[in-house]
Amino acid sequence: MTDEKARESRRDFLKLAATGAPAVAVAAVAGGTSADAAVPGGNADGKAAGLRKTEHVEKYLESARF
Amino acid sequence: MTNPESSGLPPSVVEEDRLRADLYDILAALLARPPARDLIDRVSRLDGDETPLGSAIGALSRVAKASTEKAVEREFNALFIGLARGELLPYASYYMTGFLHEKPLALLRGDMSKLGIARSPDTKDPEDNIASLCEMMAGLILGRFGEPADLTTQRDFYAAHIGPWAGHFFTDLEGAKGSVFYAPVGAIGRIFMEIEREAFRMGA
Repeated sequence: MTDEKARESRRDFLKLAATGAPAVAVAAVAGGTSADAAVPGGNADGKAAGLRKTEHVEKYLESARF
Repeated sequence: MTNPESSGLPPSVVEEDRLRADLYDILAALLARPPARDLIDRVSRLDGDETPLGSAIGALSRVAKASTEKAVEREFNALFIGLARGELLPYASYYMTGFLHEKPLALLRGDMSKLGIARSPDTKDPEDNIASLCEMMAGLILGRFGEPADLTTQRDFYAAHIGPWAGHFFTDLEGAKGSVFYAPVGAIGRIFMEIEREAFRMGA
């Protein structure tokens, strides 16, 4: 199976298996109530990433979600 | 470990992956702390179809309708806090080695630092608890820690830190003596972990 094919069958499987709950409803439930135990930290390769979200920004985004 | 920045994936996350992230998020929200009235109300408005996952969601919704915030908090404390300890210890280290703060936690900390994930200063819990791990998976899928992680990165993280034990934990949660509200939460987690395992097997 090619990568593309495998990816497609994975998507099909997830569509069938994981859509028992309407995605939007679940998103609305979880939105803004993140467990907040993990925050973005330093970059993987240690270089300063211009786009890295600070914890403060992350918290703001978290509270602004919905 | 693949660097998410070099994965070449488009920044958009497909619908199925958003749904996975939503499920991880809701599990994290319910397992991190006792849910406030607002979250219980929102859970009670969920609706599921006839699939195993859908029925578990429907069951949670029904229990939520009949639950008070106080009762769920008492249940949460009996399950996870207890006097000396709760009925369950929801930590990778404990499930994988029989002890807390063992090698699985050390390996997780290594991977978190590689992936650019730091522990929030607001939490005292070891990072390998189930709520944090679910939150990390959701974050990797949606790109909360940088770019969305590609499937290989997600699969490696899942296989190392969640796959070996989370199914057992959710089965324990579903059958725990103290579980009423948390029994369907356990069912949702157990079924979702089976779906994740199968999906990662199909292609990543």
